[in-house]
Amino acid sequence: MLERILLRLHTDDAGVEEPSITRDRLKAAFPLGTTRRMTQLGLMVGTALDRVEAGPADSVTYASTFGETRALEGYLDSYPGASPTLFQTSIHPSAVQQGRVVRQGALREFFPVAGGEHLVLSALLVALLEPSGQSIFCGGEERGTWLRERGLGSPRSFGFAVALGRKVGAGVPLGRLRLIEAEGGREDDSGGTLSLCDWFDLLHGRHSYAGAVGPGWRLELTWM
Amino acid sequence: MADPGNRVRIAATDCLTPFGDAAATLAALLRGERALKRVPVLGREGGDLVPLALIEGRALDESEPPEWLSPLSRLARSIPGEGWGSARRPIFVTGSNFGVGALYAYRRSLAAVTQGTASAAGLEPPKEDFLKWGDPGACVARLAREFGWGSQVTVFSHACVSAHLGLLQATRALEAGLADEALVFTFDFLSPFVAGGFHALKILNGEWPAPYENRPTGAIGLGDGAAYAVLGKGKGDLCLAAQNLHNEMYHVTGNRPDGSGFAACLEPIVAAAKGRRVWMKGHGTGTLEAGRLEAGALAQAFGEAPLVGWKGSLGHTLGSCGVVELSLAAQAIRVGRTPGTVGSRAPALAGAVAFDAFDNRSFDAVVCASNAFGGSHAAFLLAHA
Repeated sequence: MLERILLRLHTDDAGVEEPSITRDRLKAAFPLGTTRRMTQLGLMVGTALDRVEAGPADSVTYASTFGETRALEGYLDSYPGASPTLFQTSIHPSAVQQGRVVRQGALREFFPVAGGEHLVLSALLVALLEPSGQSIFCGGEERGTWLRERGLGSPRSFGFAVALGRKVGAGVPLGRLRLIEAEGGREDDSGGTLSLCDWFDLLHGRHSYAGAVGPGWRLELTWM
Repeated sequence: MADPGNRVRIAATDCLTPFGDAAATLAALLRGERALKRVPVLGREGGDLVPLALIEGRALDESEPPEWLSPLSRLARSIPGEGWGSARRPIFVTGSNFGVGALYAYRRSLAAVTQGTASAAGLEPPKEDFLKWGDPGACVARLAREFGWGSQVTVFSHACVSAHLGLLQATRALEAGLADEALVFTFDFLSPFVAGGFHALKILNGEWPAPYENRPTGAIGLGDGAAYAVLGKGKGDLCLAAQNLHNEMYHVTGNRPDGSGFAACLEPIVAAAKGRRVWMKGHGTGTLEAGRLEAGALAQAFGEAPLVGWKGSLGHTLGSCGVVELSLAAQAIRVGRTPGTVGSRAPALAGAVAFDAFDNRSFDAVVCASNAFGGSHAAFLLAHA
């Protein structure tokens, strides 16, 4: 069993909010003039990392299935005169890099996890196997346009970051997370899975959970 | 630090480049051959000629199914052992492009149809099947089905340090007792998507890349690449004696001008290499500023240890480069010869750049380093187990 305490948490459920609205809503959190080229996902994840106090000694795990959907759409549509800015921005894991670069916020380790079905399990295993026990799990999606219509973009926008630790530090712990090998072993692929949206909704609503998270693993999430 | 007797070892590794497998690629590098050829940056749609190294018989333009699927399948089926993707044999798939070339092909053909220019541009009508490769998760899920893998598959996408993340997480899974063996599988195949992007950044220009060479203009080449490494505790004559990451977040495409990001990443590698005679395989894409900083930091850390880079021949294989070059470094250790920095000549930007091949039998280990957008750095020490 792997276990961590939830030390700090920030969530942003932007839903179907347009990127320009998100920018107006969050730009005060960034240095003046730095948000013009930031993406909706970059704004949300960047804000979330700040709120959980990500610092240079941290190991950050970042999960997103679709990543920079709007930048990817824009970059693809920029051909044949490919846009260098949209090329950079479209590359996974630009969302985290945008927010950290404007703050000059180095990170010791940075594990951008991609993928679909078992993304949350993969990311949790990365975050929880970090040897120091202090890590941050962040992620999110931004609502796409033509890619979403073709099943390659998220229908909703959201971002989150949660700081995990082995010990309670300063402040009040928020909750506890346990990752447990399911009975029957990890070959068992029948128990269902927890999507990134599901995971976000648990965090955003402070909902407890005890159930499958991916093949052969159970998640227990409790709030204090 | 893990008990030296219980270190994670490389049980098997191989790669796929335009030259072939690791043995064929190393032999070509030792002969000083260059896989890069000048190819129109947008494939069928033309554009400037830029240095790209494509797997033999493959066009830059994406097809459905992709032309790279067959050689990649052969590489996957050559991996020793069975039951990959099961509970005790997890897989870490790494890359940066995955199936985005298919997405590019879909969008360009759709745009051409809309504009009525498809036939003039030599583009086929848009195929919905392209979309099945369109995000990393979907792409890897298709490959997993194709290769007969189980469900324990983690996907890392961190541009050009992606493969290092797979190695580190595989090591952690092994050290935590969650796996008996772990597979790191990596691939990146070129398309106009990525070639056009680097061309727009003006670093993929018409010049051949010359890593670590002090010359007026920098240039990179890009290459197809795929590789695997099987990690375990029982088998293998080589081990990953140390691994480290560091992320500057100084600039989206640049590094701190004092080179401190490179130095921070190398710090634990230096400690682990103490008392060993090392040679170094750097990232060395051919850009000037990053090359100068990297060569300088490596020289500061390891003195006169010889530094080589192979992207002047193979091109930059992007997210796969960490394990492609691990595989080649392992092969170099086994045959006792290290290829020089193909495509480059004196004077060097900094440090003890080895332009020619050398005998490595008097060395104990090799430092392998990669860098990526965002000032991301990754390095490991490959040593005899």
